[in-house]
Amino acid sequence: MTDSATNRSSSAFRLEARGIRKSFGGVEVLHGVGLVATGGSVLALLGENGAGKSTLVKIVAGDYSPDAGEIDVAGDVRPSLDPLSARQLGIRMIFQELNDAPALTVAENISLGRWPGNHGVVSWREVRRRAQRVLEELGVDIDPDAPVGSLRIGERQVVEIARALSDEARCLILDEPTAALSAQEVERLFTFIHRLRKRGVALVYITHRLDEVRQIADRVEVLRDGEVVLEGNVAELDRRRLVSAMVGRTIEDVQRPPAPSWELGSAPVLRFTSATSEGAFQDVDLEVFPGEVVALYGKVGSGTAEVADAAFGTRSLTGGSLELDGKESRFHGPAQAIEAGVGLLPADRQREGAFMVRPVAENLSAPSWPRLARLRTFISSRQEAIAYRRWHDALTIRSRNDPGQPIGTLSGGNQQKVLLGRWLERRSRVLLLVEPTRGVDVGARQEIYRSIRSLSSEGVGILIPTSDYEEVVQVADRAAVMARGRIVARLEGDEITTEELAEAAGG
Amino acid sequence: MTEANEPTQLAAGEAAAAGPAVQQAADMDRRRRIPELAALVVFLLVEGVFFSLKSPYFLNWDNWLNILTAVAVTGIIAAPATLLLIAGQFDLSVGSGTAFCGVIMAYTVGSLGWSEPLGVVVVVLAGIGIGLVNGFFVNVVGVNALITTLGTLAVLRGLGKVISNGQTLILNGFGGIGTSRPFLNIPTPVLILAAIVALFWFVMRYTVYGRSMYAIGANPVAARLTGIRSKRLIFGGFVLSGLCVALSGLILVSQLGASSPIAATGLELSVVTAVILGGASLAGGRGTIIGTALGLLIIGVLNNGLILLNVDPFWQEVAQGTLLIAAVSFDQLRIRLSVA
Repeated sequence: MTDSATNRSSSAFRLEARGIRKSFGGVEVLHGVGLVATGGSVLALLGENGAGKSTLVKIVAGDYSPDAGEIDVAGDVRPSLDPLSARQLGIRMIFQELNDAPALTVAENISLGRWPGNHGVVSWREVRRRAQRVLEELGVDIDPDAPVGSLRIGERQVVEIARALSDEARCLILDEPTAALSAQEVERLFTFIHRLRKRGVALVYITHRLDEVRQIADRVEVLRDGEVVLEGNVAELDRRRLVSAMVGRTIEDVQRPPAPSWELGSAPVLRFTSATSEGAFQDVDLEVFPGEVVALYGKVGSGTAEVADAAFGTRSLTGGSLELDGKESRFHGPAQAIEAGVGLLPADRQREGAFMVRPVAENLSAPSWPRLARLRTFISSRQEAIAYRRWHDALTIRSRNDPGQPIGTLSGGNQQKVLLGRWLERRSRVLLLVEPTRGVDVGARQEIYRSIRSLSSEGVGILIPTSDYEEVVQVADRAAVMARGRIVARLEGDEITTEELAEAAGG
Repeated sequence: MTEANEPTQLAAGEAAAAGPAVQQAADMDRRRRIPELAALVVFLLVEGVFFSLKSPYFLNWDNWLNILTAVAVTGIIAAPATLLLIAGQFDLSVGSGTAFCGVIMAYTVGSLGWSEPLGVVVVVLAGIGIGLVNGFFVNVVGVNALITTLGTLAVLRGLGKVISNGQTLILNGFGGIGTSRPFLNIPTPVLILAAIVALFWFVMRYTVYGRSMYAIGANPVAARLTGIRSKRLIFGGFVLSGLCVALSGLILVSQLGASSPIAATGLELSVVTAVILGGASLAGGRGTIIGTALGLLIIGVLNNGLILLNVDPFWQEVAQGTLLIAAVSFDQLRIRLSVA
């Protein structure tokens, strides 16, 4: 304890990885890259999905061993680390997915694997004391006796950070920690990061959100295709340079789509009238016309995703009504909603969307099987392949163009295109696209937006519940903003700007 | 839109320009897919060569008919078991269900003197009933399939003993389905096995039902969100399993001319071994009936070979258990290799 305390105060901790190379299955994904993390500063590691960020930090954290290069931890130079020695050297990583034990208490989680006590007998007093000390230090009000599973995601993340800290972390790596957090929780997390920085911890912060980089990082390193393409002080780099470094080309700033040149349908294809669902949303009035893209913007937990669930038959209304093509509808389950012409692209692609081990063609044609099949019963993979080829080019799906390729082998953006194709093949007239570009890299994101626009030009009504305001600006004709289960603002056309959206949702 | 603006790990395999890389990725994928069946075929051949060197009788046509007859009952049940496992479900009640159905046949026809067709109808209804009960608890009540069918395993075993009073019931003159050889001297059970395997092969490959079962196993939530009525389909899977149990019960009682309430004990172990050996994934979503058929042959050849070599039959169980663990370990190794 005293040991590390003196370390911390005397000279700043410094971790440097140099010339790191790493291949998977014969394909090199890191071509001699490195990073420098120093105590008391925040390094933002920026890059699109697949740029190599996670691989690099996993090497630093000892999860992978590099093919070449070296890691210098406070003067201790090694060719590679293993998880145990990385931990002993004070390197801790907080993963995107929570790594806690939900059934155990906060205090137990903090001491997990490092039980205090004698001769194998755990001292529960010390477990509790340790938790209280570190939580106090972090300035958070979390009950150490509460089961972790009962906490909100943001609080659970804090518990993980507390666990790392109580283990004398000198370098803390955070892998996209804000992905699942609400705006308030993000704010609180940033406060911690500032506090940790003050305490002299070296922080590495992985993200693909540019605004976060400005808010918290001192230095930034941009990775693309396994190479460092930009490095510098955040204060000296503007947004455009960061974006173009990430994407590899200059990209226009967030831009509004042109107003639809096509006719909207005369009657709404989807309409909520003072719709209420206990515990999720109240008094929602919302219309989507054929040929129109409507965004339902709100922070995580504001009820936007639940509205989509209600339209898809996975959540029932306790008040008000839902009409499809002017007909009042009550769906018992998704099968009925799909039959009526509704399609839903879920936010969590891996858990709710894709059949990872199954071929792309099967993934795309699944909801259309009865229609594609002879006598609604007999189907061959040839029929599926034909359906797949119909959309492969239109959606610019990048694959081997082999209908039998498992969808799990495609990149996130291309998986999402296949899942979008699902509802095109099904000829759905209302599409609910929940967070359609979450975890999708910038290039593929633009292609998905283009596909959404071209779909609407064909008369499909599209509702997009999302927490990404840039997405709203780039794709929506109209936007409704939700907060705490209610629609708090409506924007149309050029009124839709990031500022307006942020303001409306925050109020 | 330029081709190379998507820097992902897979970009090398995806960009149309990178010809050799595409080929490489395709090769890798194919290499990963082939071992599943090829390894089984190789294993079967090695087994065959070994036993044919050790015993002159092994390669006889009659011996092969023996092998196939011996695995017929297991195989008839392994077909729906493959379908269920692909959808992420299990049916452990098949062994005691088979004995139960046999007891019903022997009791109604042999002891009560009902006509054979009526007995068969009752047995088929019993099979459907078993499927309905399992399906009800798994899909309507929501009990885990392993636990549900473990329960019905005990219940059916017990009911069989209650009905037969724990005795072996004799049933004379019902030999047709078990012992006749209507075609090329091939025993009827083998022909039925072939028909069942062909039927399930077709269902799993060429019907919406089969496709949907793969989807349910691969990702139950996604299946629901694509409009697949999972509960109904799984329910159907259990009923199919029950029907095949009825069929195998009839074959068993016909082969033996009698029915014991403790017959077919441990049948579920053989079934699971064949299915897993055949490459169906415990996680659901993967597996083929051809694989199961090969797994079945491997077990049949092993048991047969051990008999030909005069090994104590008790060792068969040891061999089969070992084979099951080996199959699962192999599956794990394969997963680890394909991830790395």
